[in-house]
Amino acid sequence: MSQLKIVRIHNELLGTYGDQGNAEVLAFRAKFHGITATIFDVSYNDELPTNGDIYLLGGAEDTAQLLSLEALKRSNNLNTLEMAIERGAVVLAICAGFQIMGRSFWANGVEVEGLGILDVTSKPGSKRIVGDIKTTSTVLGFELTGFENHMGHTTLGPTAEPFGKVLKGTGNGDDKFDGAVSGNIFGSYMHGPILARNPELADLLLTRATGRKYAQITDPLASKYAAWRRKVI
Amino acid sequence: MRLKLSILIAKFAALLSRKILRKSGETIAGWVLLKLSPRAISELSKGRTIICVSGTNGKTSTTKALAKIVSSLGSVTTSISGSNLDRGIAAALMAKSDFAVLEVDELHLANIIEEAKPKIVLLLNLTRDQLHRMHEVKRVADRWALSAKISPKTIFVGDIDDPFVNLVLSSAANSEKISFGGRRHLDAAVCPACGTYLKWVGNNYKCSCGLTNSGANIILQPGTAAYKNAAMANVAGKILGASESEIDERALERSVDKVKNGVKLKLRLTKNPASWSEALNSVSGSSVLLIVNSREVDGIDTSWLWDISFDQLTGKQIVVSGERALDIAYRLHVAGIEAEIATDFEAAISKFPTDSAVHVLAAYTAFYELVNS
Repeated sequence: MSQLKIVRIHNELLGTYGDQGNAEVLAFRAKFHGITATIFDVSYNDELPTNGDIYLLGGAEDTAQLLSLEALKRSNNLNTLEMAIERGAVVLAICAGFQIMGRSFWANGVEVEGLGILDVTSKPGSKRIVGDIKTTSTVLGFELTGFENHMGHTTLGPTAEPFGKVLKGTGNGDDKFDGAVSGNIFGSYMHGPILARNPELADLLLTRATGRKYAQITDPLASKYAAWRRKVI
Repeated sequence: MRLKLSILIAKFAALLSRKILRKSGETIAGWVLLKLSPRAISELSKGRTIICVSGTNGKTSTTKALAKIVSSLGSVTTSISGSNLDRGIAAALMAKSDFAVLEVDELHLANIIEEAKPKIVLLLNLTRDQLHRMHEVKRVADRWALSAKISPKTIFVGDIDDPFVNLVLSSAANSEKISFGGRRHLDAAVCPACGTYLKWVGNNYKCSCGLTNSGANIILQPGTAAYKNAAMANVAGKILGASESEIDERALERSVDKVKNGVKLKLRLTKNPASWSEALNSVSGSSVLLIVNSREVDGIDTSWLWDISFDQLTGKQIVVSGERALDIAYRLHVAGIEAEIATDFEAAISKFPTDSAVHVLAAYTAFYELVNS
């Protein structure tokens, strides 16, 4: 049985919109594949572990987002994250976390420089975007559903691919896309949490993190839940 | 003169609503009144003592308890259950009285403070709730704090174990800070006063900017949320000169007992992570029904179900129903708890043996449907 380390980054800061569930769904789906996954919580004052397989960031309020960014910019942490990405680790960043991964975003009325790991920039829109969202994932080829709740409008640069094409809802704001993908780095505005609503995405992240192809999981409740959300949104 | 005429028309509208639509008529009366006299809340508040109660959880029951305490001092008018927006408040104020004890929605509190100029504002707690509407906890707290700053004659009373409530009380010229010995707060990793990472030691916090729960005027025993709300109602009553009333926790729990098809139900209102956690702690016995809806007042998003620990339910018979039964079923599934899914309430009840006692944790809309059924 193989081992997998899921790193949940700053959940006390980036845990306002339920995204902490992404780690639990990953660990749960991993079990079906015969993988023993451990969830490793990193808080604001901790150093990021260097040996993570999947790093998760969630949504947050503005001040919490700024504190998380500040902690991630500490030289050790930024090096760790960059090296992890270089060796193929997976990053899933939602909402405020997605903006942190980008080049710049706005919080508390001020523009700040992000980590620059994803080629995206975010600016505040005129109206908060709140509601159910459905996309067709451009890289995965299936429908994703979730719930969005954000002010930010995000624009993709040349080296970022859109993550989903919006079927319902708003997503990034101006381009009819949601989120961005670059290699194994995934950014999205979808709460839900996204992996609970879309368990196949959790499987894809596990495949990317371990480099192994797994047999399809039979979990009727997960499939029923995902299919129902896709039908009603 | 104009106000009197408006009240007359509003009362007539309420009468029509009662006779024709068979509704309580309160909301429609308030709506009509505010349309005709937009300053009605301010006008009707003059010459009497106004007390506002707000917070994420416990508003309705605490308002009821406080109204009862204050009734020993004079005539009291109070909000009808849960009707806490401006129209409900306007309707409540139509009745003449010495005191008005008003339940106020978190997003309406600032306006009501500025219009009604209350003598006391009782703030119970502030945690994440209906984020599709509130968006961010901190913004609600900031708006409250601004109101506190510009209302020097109002006494702000509340539980400063909650850093957001403490921010508001610390912004007020007059406050009565209560502590129950501290409690962890799910949404307060950041100091709401200065924006730095808030230092918590156990259940207590102390920020370098000075915000701390160790500076309370009144320190009380720890206890359940219901006990705390009752104790705070007593503090507010005492400021007005009322004598202390006995604390009946059950009355403040928002729980109702019912028997349906031979099954004994203990219904409890649950609407956000804080109230779910409180309710889960009170679950005894081995049968539990969870009902999750996602209408406007329930919160249209269910992501927050993932912020609750359901460990207390391990090993019990769990049935789930409601519009979002699948959301809660899958949430529990991932936590290692298998629930039976029922299509509706009747079907849910039939899954339990007759004579069994079932704890029912119900979303806002489901709770009221069941209580009124």
